[in-house]
Amino acid sequence: MKRHTYVALLATLMSASAWGQEVSLYGTTMAQMWKQDAAGTEKATYTPATQYLGIDATKLGSDNLSLHLFGWGRTDLSDQSNFDGKTAGYLNYGYLQYRFDQANAEIKAGRFTANQSTGFEQIDGVSARTDLVNGFTVSAFGGKPVLYKVVDPRNQHDYDFQHDFIFGARLGWRMAQVGEIGLSYLQDGTKAAQDLTFPSSTDYTRKRLGLDLVVTPAKAFSLQGRSVYDVSNQRTNAAEQDYTATVKLGDQVTMSGNYAERNFRFYFAGTNLPSLFRQDDGDLFKGFGGNLTWNTTASFQVVADYRHTHRETFGDVNRAGGEMRWNFNERAVLLGVSGHWANAVDTKFVDPAAPSRSLSHKEARAWVMLNKGKFTASLDGILQRYESGNPYLAGLRNVFETVASVGYQATTNVKVSGDVSFGSTPVAKHETRALLRAEYRFGFAKKGGK
Amino acid sequence: MVRKSVLQILGVVLGLGMLMACGLVSPEASFAATHPEGLGAGKPVCSECHSTDVAKGALKPYATFDHTPTFVKDHKFQANQDRNTCAACHAPSFCVDCHGGKVPMKPATRLSDSPDRMAPHRGDFLTLHKIEGKLDPSSCYSCHGRANNDKCRACHR
Repeated sequence: MKRHTYVALLATLMSASAWGQEVSLYGTTMAQMWKQDAAGTEKATYTPATQYLGIDATKLGSDNLSLHLFGWGRTDLSDQSNFDGKTAGYLNYGYLQYRFDQANAEIKAGRFTANQSTGFEQIDGVSARTDLVNGFTVSAFGGKPVLYKVVDPRNQHDYDFQHDFIFGARLGWRMAQVGEIGLSYLQDGTKAAQDLTFPSSTDYTRKRLGLDLVVTPAKAFSLQGRSVYDVSNQRTNAAEQDYTATVKLGDQVTMSGNYAERNFRFYFAGTNLPSLFRQDDGDLFKGFGGNLTWNTTASFQVVADYRHTHRETFGDVNRAGGEMRWNFNERAVLLGVSGHWANAVDTKFVDPAAPSRSLSHKEARAWVMLNKGKFTASLDGILQRYESGNPYLAGLRNVFETVASVGYQATTNVKVSGDVSFGSTPVAKHETRALLRAEYRFGFAKKGGK
Repeated sequence: MVRKSVLQILGVVLGLGMLMACGLVSPEASFAATHPEGLGAGKPVCSECHSTDVAKGALKPYATFDHTPTFVKDHKFQANQDRNTCAACHAPSFCVDCHGGKVPMKPATRLSDSPDRMAPHRGDFLTLHKIEGKLDPSSCYSCHGRANNDKCRACHR
């Protein structure tokens, strides 16, 4: 879609909010400044200013019609910039929604995220869903896929050409206290690589068939997951299996286990970064793990987690860790401590010049939040300690970041806060950042979200 | 191509119109657009109040929506199937905190004054991503596999 079409659409949508009987406007203004002392380069200062803005306008003439907009803009207040130009902006979503009183039916038109099928897609188009009789549901969407347009257009031509249209549909069936099963289809692009003026060996078209499942025979147990198949070729190939079972033992303990399997050749089909998400590896991934959550009281929670992953061309990795959280005096003081280990000693191959064990690392984090009257304060520290000889760390073993924040809730709808952070990374031996934040909201909405 | 696109959209709309005309649409009233009572701060445990019944529309026990650590980490299934249940409490902008598509800063920076939230990429993730990407690139793909980001391309050509 061309820029002037965007502007016209956005202006129309924003003016439509004036018809709303209930309009909520929420925004966050952030001014950042950071100094970087990077090895081999001069010290640099960056000062970007960012504005987030959202509008929810409901009851637009009808109780069921609403408008939702959210976007951001940014400009660099100094001449130095490592961003995508001095100014940038983006409309994350902007759509009209009609919500029917019956059957959970709704229609959306504009820019929105469609995730009822196998993908999580941002599109400029329309979508609709409704419940049917006997527990069936149906949903569908179609439109132009949103491309971020930050790459040199000459490098994006093939991708743009093939991604002319995206559509998907899902048919589901649900039964009370039993669960739900859904069958979905997603197609991204209607043109094949051989249709290009200069036919390419890289094909970005995606055609996916999905099966999703939730089994909830009792409130103490649920099984949920999905299987995704790549059907862009003549053969149907499994791209993903991902299932999680959750068991609740009384009111305090929750256990969950997950199994996932992915075939990268088909899972990464359609990526615009084939050099990063390599399809040609033909790599297989399998992972399993779980976590145990214990809410000993309303104010104390312990979580322990473990995960084993296996990549066919790479090897095995084990991760384990835990977290403790305290909540004192009805959230007047919140405290969290966590530690995690990633053990990659069974990896087969990383870099001929470096031992595979160098990818093993440990992470520790501690944070505290204080809320007293209109004042808030928080301190957050995170440390990552790597094995010696890690090829990515420029000789460093410890990488850390600490963030201190104070805030003042001036009114119910206005809050100002400021952060200072200090850290050390392989890129910047010393990095100091400051951030000023003003959050405000006006209107009627009670729903959460900034 | 435009004609083809318009026809496809028209097909979807007509298909749904036919469903309504055929009387296949459920006669049940829709799930509440807004939770009738204000919720306290922190992650809600839906089953504390909704102990025995199932969520209308979703037809699943409310316990399925309890905001446990597993739920927060793995909520894609509920978001896919029961988005209207989420919408009773969450404004659309809540999703954008992490799932914005193109964003000006990582979620952990934007939410740096809320260390209790499970915002992705805390600390120096620029370094860590080189390792995480080796260990499990599929975890990156769900958010970054479709993003046409030239910062990625600066190294990943």
